[in-house]
Amino acid sequence: MFLGASIANSLDERTILWERFECEAMPHASSLFRIARWLTRNQSDAEDLLQETLIEALSSFHRFSEGTNCRAWLVTILYHHHSKRRRAQSHLHLVSDEQERIAETIAFEPSTPQNLTDEDVLSALRRIPRAFQEVVILADVEGLSYKEIAEATQVPIGTVMSRISRGRKLLRTELATYAREHGFGGVA
Amino acid sequence: MHCYQFREMADSYVDLETSANTNREFAYHLDNCPVCREEMAARREFRIRLRETWTKAPENQMRPEFADRLRGQLHSLSLSKASTNTSSVKNHPRSLNLQRRWLLTVAASLILAIAIGFVLSRVMRIKNKSDYESGVMPDLVKTELAKSAVGDHRDCAIQFRLAERSTNLDEAALKYDHAYIDLVKSVTSGEMLPGVEFVKAHSCIFQQRRFAHLIFKYHGQLVSLLVTDNDADPGKLPTVPASGQPNVIACSSFDGYRVSCFQTARHAVFVVSDLADGENLTLARAFESSVVEHLTRSEEPASF
Repeated sequence: MFLGASIANSLDERTILWERFECEAMPHASSLFRIARWLTRNQSDAEDLLQETLIEALSSFHRFSEGTNCRAWLVTILYHHHSKRRRAQSHLHLVSDEQERIAETIAFEPSTPQNLTDEDVLSALRRIPRAFQEVVILADVEGLSYKEIAEATQVPIGTVMSRISRGRKLLRTELATYAREHGFGGVA
Repeated sequence: MHCYQFREMADSYVDLETSANTNREFAYHLDNCPVCREEMAARREFRIRLRETWTKAPENQMRPEFADRLRGQLHSLSLSKASTNTSSVKNHPRSLNLQRRWLLTVAASLILAIAIGFVLSRVMRIKNKSDYESGVMPDLVKTELAKSAVGDHRDCAIQFRLAERSTNLDEAALKYDHAYIDLVKSVTSGEMLPGVEFVKAHSCIFQQRRFAHLIFKYHGQLVSLLVTDNDADPGKLPTVPASGQPNVIACSSFDGYRVSCFQTARHAVFVVSDLADGENLTLARAFESSVVEHLTRSEEPASF
């Protein structure tokens, strides 16, 4: 631990803490913003959430162990703040049985279409249920491991793994359907 | 293994989450089934495409003015004693954007004078640190060397389609560069980030350029550490730091892969991966000390 359990008191200590925070935490700001933007669905709320996350991270940074995964730590803080906000707004975040059933019905492995535009890819991702979007984004876009996703989202790792698998399959199905409907795709 | 089994498990294989036995079955099936080979390549490419598309989507971009303001706020808070006390931060109203702006404005004014002096005094030190945030990119990361390193990572570690067969690192050390001797030992016995797993090492050639290629696994992704001769245009390279000084590590992206690099007098070192922003740089920092120490030792004239 960088400063042990102590809190940075002198200007020198605070300066060193900031330098370390800037090197280790700040490079992840863009990634955190994208996750915050997806969670809140709103630019202004995403900015507030990111701000709260980084302030909390800065205040707790003396407890962060050097050499551990800083981004996963930050994502966990971000999810924690997001949950607090949702509780305050009395929203519930549940995966409906219907969504799980839809995913279960994808019985075959569709091929991965090619020759798609960026918009095709984004709209296909937006069409799959949010619980599956979430894990696909965290795993395949932001590069979190299954374990890190489980810790951040407070979902059992087995559920995370099955959602990732189903989410990818749903995404390929959406894209394959789109490619077939539009008569292209070069499906492998 | 049948094609339907392959397709069912292909994503786990890409994630490096399959067992050694399954990997062997996969490799055998891939060698013998062009359709699944194409599907595998399509899945890998789709992941890169998804990442690039999502990362570039306009709604996912932070407003530059917000990013600047946030960084300034955090910097100011970090220098104020209260900011390092968790309880005081917890007492902050939820949205500093709206409710504490006036207070921050006053605080920022008071801190500005201190900050200016502080920033000026740090300018030289920051230059010796990562240029990731400062926006100053040493040119090595933009050279053809870096592009070749990314190409080698893609074609050798990810897609197994190099034109020439790779060779044993010790054999290559005898023929081409004695710095390759014990390189793996130096790196793996040095300081490695928790979670970094050594996979294999060899020497390979990408577009006529020879690399010592060490492959690691980190957070389910393959990471390449590539060492090659540092023969980029010397006029374009940053100065190699004096012994004992921190090395400049620069970070960039090519073809959807992140590449971080540092150098010694005779070698350029690249860390290439599919990892997201910042993590590749963190890995490069973790490797830097042991790799530089090893290479510098090998570059010293032999004494008899």
